[in-house]
Amino acid sequence: MVSKNVSTREPLIKRTPRGLYCPPADAYIDPWRPVNTALITHAHADHARTGSDHYHCAAPGRGLLASRLGTQAITPHTYGQPFDLNGIEITFFPAGHVLGSAQIRLSDGQQTWVITGDYKRDADPTCAPFQPVECDVLITEATFALPIYRWPSMDEIMPRIFHWWDANIRANRTPVLLCYSLGKAQRLMTEIGLRSNRGVRIHGAVDTLNTYYAEADIPLCPAERAADGPSGPSRELILAPPQVAGSRFLKRFGATELAMASGWMQVRGIRRRAAINQGFVVSDHADWDGLLRTISQSKAHTVYATHGETRVLTRYLNETSNIKATRLETAFGIEEERDQ
Amino acid sequence: MNFVGLFQALDASQSTLAKRDALVEFIATADAIESGRAVSLLSGRKQSRRLKPAHLRAVGFDLYAQTPWLFEDCYAAVGDLSETLAILLADATREANIRTPVLEKWSETQATLLKAHPDELTALIRSTVSEMSRDEAFLFLKTASGGFRVGVSRGLVHEALSRVTEISRDVIDERLMDGFEVEPAWLERLKKPVTEAEQHARPCPFVLAHPLPDSHEETLSADDFIVEFKWDGIRAQLIKTDQIIRLWSRGDHDITAQFPELIELAATWPGQFTLDGEILVMRDQRMGSFQDLQTRLNRKRVTAKLRASHPAHFRAYDLLKYAGEDFRERPLIERKECLNHINVDQSPWSVQSSWAAIADLRQEARTHGAEGLMLKSKCAPYVGGRKTGLWWKWKLDPMTADLVLIYAQAGHGRRASLHTDYTLAAWSADALVPVAKAYSGLTDSELKEIDQWIKAHTRDKFGPVRQVEPQLVFEIGFEGIARSPRHKSGVALRFPRIMRWRTDLKAEDADSIGYFNRLLDAAP
Repeated sequence: MVSKNVSTREPLIKRTPRGLYCPPADAYIDPWRPVNTALITHAHADHARTGSDHYHCAAPGRGLLASRLGTQAITPHTYGQPFDLNGIEITFFPAGHVLGSAQIRLSDGQQTWVITGDYKRDADPTCAPFQPVECDVLITEATFALPIYRWPSMDEIMPRIFHWWDANIRANRTPVLLCYSLGKAQRLMTEIGLRSNRGVRIHGAVDTLNTYYAEADIPLCPAERAADGPSGPSRELILAPPQVAGSRFLKRFGATELAMASGWMQVRGIRRRAAINQGFVVSDHADWDGLLRTISQSKAHTVYATHGETRVLTRYLNETSNIKATRLETAFGIEEERDQ
Repeated sequence: MNFVGLFQALDASQSTLAKRDALVEFIATADAIESGRAVSLLSGRKQSRRLKPAHLRAVGFDLYAQTPWLFEDCYAAVGDLSETLAILLADATREANIRTPVLEKWSETQATLLKAHPDELTALIRSTVSEMSRDEAFLFLKTASGGFRVGVSRGLVHEALSRVTEISRDVIDERLMDGFEVEPAWLERLKKPVTEAEQHARPCPFVLAHPLPDSHEETLSADDFIVEFKWDGIRAQLIKTDQIIRLWSRGDHDITAQFPELIELAATWPGQFTLDGEILVMRDQRMGSFQDLQTRLNRKRVTAKLRASHPAHFRAYDLLKYAGEDFRERPLIERKECLNHINVDQSPWSVQSSWAAIADLRQEARTHGAEGLMLKSKCAPYVGGRKTGLWWKWKLDPMTADLVLIYAQAGHGRRASLHTDYTLAAWSADALVPVAKAYSGLTDSELKEIDQWIKAHTRDKFGPVRQVEPQLVFEIGFEGIARSPRHKSGVALRFPRIMRWRTDLKAEDADSIGYFNRLLDAAP
């Protein structure tokens, strides 16, 4: 049960030098240093770090997490099925961010906290959709907490991607779409597969991760490793992580045209600075409306914002609602900052 | 294609050649009024009446009436007012129309908006923009509020026009110097042969100089050059024909109305001519500072009081046309001698036999109120543009100071959300007082590193401005210094820019206000 009036009690979650910590459960959530017990929201590097003794995650993310961490000491949990750690009830709920991503609910029977991890509210055929969870205290990400960040639907974006792809074929240039290798690449491949019979060529980093999506029966479009195909201009779309821009990897394709699929592409200046000619606004994070809707649906009386535009989100909540909002410094989001 | 399609093509390319080709295709195929308006916009020609940034801001504040800071934060993240509003207001589901002409319609919409009552303007802008696609809303607001830039220079537009019309770039430059009138036959008109009268009434493309290379002693011969001071005023051409007298600045602006005393003076000189020279403020044979000149610029009315307190003066460098004859092909030394035909103040010049003698002259420049030397090839014709080898500028080393970074703000355009605009301070007793704002001079990798540092060392945030811990020291260079009661520091620096990041210095090693006061005392 959700209970109010918890202000006099010890908070269930604390920020410690090792990460967010639940003392009665003796468990950390996405710790940034090695600990005994780690609850992991998802397999991105800024949330899933190596060196801890034991990990818990949502079942669909187990394969990805094991490959990233290089350990088998992982207990998978079915979404929505509570389990107990030292008297604390813990439940993983779908976060809709990438395959196996989870929000984590912790409850001691008196107070209930939810840590969202990274999440989005938009449809994504590669993972279970976000499920609103009620709580007293919500710890939410705030990567894109500004009203300028409102995502178009994939029904709007995908035709634009196909159009750009075809224009490049006509101009005899190889289209290269830069995207994170975990999550974004597979989301794009699935959307391409749902809308066409086209195939793509992928960077090795994407290929490695695709294995786990195939195991989870996610219907990716046909793909071959870019390195295995012939050199020279390619009519197939190349999917590769942003780091390949300016690298040797691109040399084999002759004249290339770079685009990027990211929420940051909403802002022209960011795209121009990255020397990217074309941007497609595709994000695996919640946009402004998504963040506010999630906070409202959680019914939380207290909100902590962990990374991105935390200052904006907390100020907005404090000025426009009865929610008490506070910024919480964490080591999350480093990956996003770097890839900007 | 229409202007929106052109923008999309220009915006999706970093290559100058690809941009030029997009322009050529557009100019050759688009509707004449659409292309004419686009050429006018892209080559940076000013519109007379336009929406002000305050009008656009009002729309943003209206949108977030309860939390106006939220709009400021959006603007800071985007770095462009028009783009911010386009993102917030436009119909993102709509695809831009890239075929039917839009600029004429936009111009009418803009005029309607400008006629609206101030109380209704905000709602009108909002409803206008919310019916547009994102790109259209952005472009409409950009064009309606002026300052439109899209990585295309006026030179590139002229280059494209030269390709389309098959007329040489020089002629295009010259024909478009006079301003640009958008009408259906503009392109045809541009192709027509120029009449002689027209030709003489027009300013010529200015010759521009390159910085003197460090290797000049080995590669250049000192006595090949005419040496003169580089005066710190406004470069201008003074034209007199039998019908008109005009003053043109290098930025292609007709500044005739701003300097009536020069026009009156030129009227007393016989003959027809085009002079290249410098406008300065001169009181009793003493030259004023560039700041003095600035008080004369962009005035709506030039009062008798202003004329008396800041009298303008024209100092001639060169004679381009005389008595209906084009002198530009003649060698400079000959043109210099012909200048004597006109009763104008000439910039003194000489030919020196050695680089040592030229270097000595350069050292004297500051005491004369000049910012360095110009070295012009004796035999060179007057060739518009920046042709290497004909004209060299040898400026004085800038004055420098080591200052502490105290505020940083995100840049605009390409530098949006990267903190690149710095406020730098000097010590006054144990307090830091802002002395200069600087925007440029660092490498991209330094900018990135400093941006990270700024984000990690922010003390406070005022909208888009971050106050940072006073730790980083930068060496700035500047061209001049003047007293300024308007600034807290009491000094105003001319053209400050960052020379380097002094990672070897700590905040306490930075310069004090006393240092600037000593510089002021030493100035002429």
